[in-house]
Amino acid sequence: MKTIRICGVGSVLLGDDAVGPYTARTIAAKYEFGEGVEVEDLGTPGLDLIAYMSGIDVLILIDSVENREPAGTVTVYDKAEITRQRPAVRLDPHSPCITESIFIAELAGDGPEDVYLIGVTGEQLEVGAPLSDSVRKAIPLAIEKALQRVLLHGGSYKEREVHADAEIWWEAGQLSVGA
Amino acid sequence: MAKRITIDPISRIEGHLRVDVEVENGSVSNAWSSCTMWRGIENILKGRDPREAWLFTQRFCGVCTTVHAMASVRSVEDALKLEIPLNAQYIRNLILINHGLHDHIVHFYHLSALDFVDIMKIPAADPTKTSALAESLSNWTGNSKKEFLAAQDKVKAVAASGQLGIFTNGYWGHPAMKLSPEVNLLAFSHYIQALEYQRKSVQAVAILGSKSPHIQNLTVGGVSNAINLDSLATLNMDRLVMIKKLMDEVKPFVEQVYLPDVCAIAGMYADWFNYGAGVTNYMASPDLPTDSKNTQFDLVGGYIMDGNLSSVHRFDGFRDKVFVDGVTEDVKHAWYKGEEPLHPWKGETDPEYTDWQAEGKYSWVKAPRFQGRPMQVGPLAQVLVGYASGDPLTRKWTDKALDLISTVAGRRIGVAQLQSTMGRHVARAIRAAMLAELGEKHWQLLVDNIAKGDVAIHNNPEFPSGEIEGVGVHEAPRGLLSHWSVIKGGKLTNYQAVVPSTWNSSPRDAKGQHGPYEASLLHNPIADPVRPLEAIRTIHSFDPCMACACHTFDPEGNAVATVKVL
Repeated sequence: MKTIRICGVGSVLLGDDAVGPYTARTIAAKYEFGEGVEVEDLGTPGLDLIAYMSGIDVLILIDSVENREPAGTVTVYDKAEITRQRPAVRLDPHSPCITESIFIAELAGDGPEDVYLIGVTGEQLEVGAPLSDSVRKAIPLAIEKALQRVLLHGGSYKEREVHADAEIWWEAGQLSVGA
Repeated sequence: MAKRITIDPISRIEGHLRVDVEVENGSVSNAWSSCTMWRGIENILKGRDPREAWLFTQRFCGVCTTVHAMASVRSVEDALKLEIPLNAQYIRNLILINHGLHDHIVHFYHLSALDFVDIMKIPAADPTKTSALAESLSNWTGNSKKEFLAAQDKVKAVAASGQLGIFTNGYWGHPAMKLSPEVNLLAFSHYIQALEYQRKSVQAVAILGSKSPHIQNLTVGGVSNAINLDSLATLNMDRLVMIKKLMDEVKPFVEQVYLPDVCAIAGMYADWFNYGAGVTNYMASPDLPTDSKNTQFDLVGGYIMDGNLSSVHRFDGFRDKVFVDGVTEDVKHAWYKGEEPLHPWKGETDPEYTDWQAEGKYSWVKAPRFQGRPMQVGPLAQVLVGYASGDPLTRKWTDKALDLISTVAGRRIGVAQLQSTMGRHVARAIRAAMLAELGEKHWQLLVDNIAKGDVAIHNNPEFPSGEIEGVGVHEAPRGLLSHWSVIKGGKLTNYQAVVPSTWNSSPRDAKGQHGPYEASLLHNPIADPVRPLEAIRTIHSFDPCMACACHTFDPEGNAVATVKVL
């Protein structure tokens, strides 16, 4: 049995950059998965992504992308396409690090065999803004692409009879918090 | 004539840190540190319930998640003068410790070691000699010839494939790279091993915080980890034992691998104790409280001015009056409106963008000052404040590190020389060794307290109708973090986060005083302006973490730092 991890990445505070966490949370609320499949909202882990890709077989990332497509376009990239991006000599070591994380995990010999990036083309990165309509409409397609990859690698899922709350707390007006 | 170099990591959202230096006769004569992305995130907290602020602040930065959560709840608790149950203090402390260990290990091996380690020299190393060298430094069991052969084979395979991957943009063969092939191999082998150990610390945080990277267990007033040693659904004995086991594995890695590696590399690059001191005013906050009223701490806080280690001023708590009264933020050279420096409780965040102006505004980072002075924060500040205060744990690990460095260097390196680029790496490793030891203590404190029958985890916050102000202080892996909140009628009316990288990467202020990054670059050697490895060494030694809140991926992008020589 393969271990498969679906990870939403991006900042929930910056407009369409929230699409990764939003989609991952929606998947976890709507579907239940067979053994070996996990869904996570990882935020903006930078190089800490390595800790979440070590020892698994398939990594499915969902993230906002800039690729000159119209906003809301869903594009799937495989590992070869992702790693074509050259890593940087960086001053700030915590910038986007998907490519570097893959390289380093592979060097250690425990990186995932397959990596997919389900990219949703964003429209704006406004602090505190909700998702743009174009991006929100793309979420069902992004979910479909993620679930297809789960099936492709032998994972299973079924829709929950009662959907759980996706807990998109950053878009809620007021939260109920406390002990 | 001075030659201007701009180092600008161009990621797709034009984010992050840019450094400009002027080089004259092979040495830096002037420097500017700029953050090229707007951080106005605090504004979205205004009008919100203070009890939920930590969920948002935890998303300021994807790497420093727990620290912004911790500072936020402490800020509100300070405003309410709320006591925190002992169990909650210990659980929070264990999160701080494990997060710090993870962060320091990753910083050294995966984010900065390759500034000193030349990967391309590794194929020429003799694994037998490497093993002998490693055994002379430590008792670590992972130092066999077999381990080093395996690591060397990985590098050979990468080199043979022609696909350098992660190593594409390293400054290999740079004249400032000085280690023997064997030492390069030693460090690289531990780079690989470090991946496994940093993950163990992440796992410990995930168990304590119910999840990682975003912990779920904080509340204003304590934590939400229900404690019942025999119940499956709570923080029980099984989980406590799992946490202990993970910490017991990481501690020897820190003591026998991370610290000796840093000391060996420091001893071999002892000239880097001569560069990068910069701002020698240091400030650290106390942390790891051991009582419910935040009056006793296991990490010492205070400040030192002008590098004078014989005179340290201690902070006696999170809300030390001298600290609270001393902090202002100056926007003379930052892209914000405003004239006079403002206290964070009165802080404003109204953008006023110009272009990059060497004599005018050039950064999105404000210039925080303490008593009008720029301050360096981070592990070096913490270690120097602890050492100068006579803290036994700080002294024990600092003396141990300095002895090893001096042996390798063949000359005495003293505590004053830690005020340097290399000193910041050494101090981070010293702090890691202290945290690993304190982890054992705080685990035992938690278990003993529960064994006494205390299962309290939370005190309920109650908000008055009038205005209250709080400061949440936390000694994070990158240094002193403070969240300043103003609350009225149970709603936030102002919120300012003064983060460690703001102190360190700050631009000049109205008096023209450089921030710590800028000051530390002055007089750095630059052998080759097109490959300014030395400037990168000094900047990396601070462990910068800029506006990592924003993150998108450009599949066609060349996220390559550009170096422009004018």
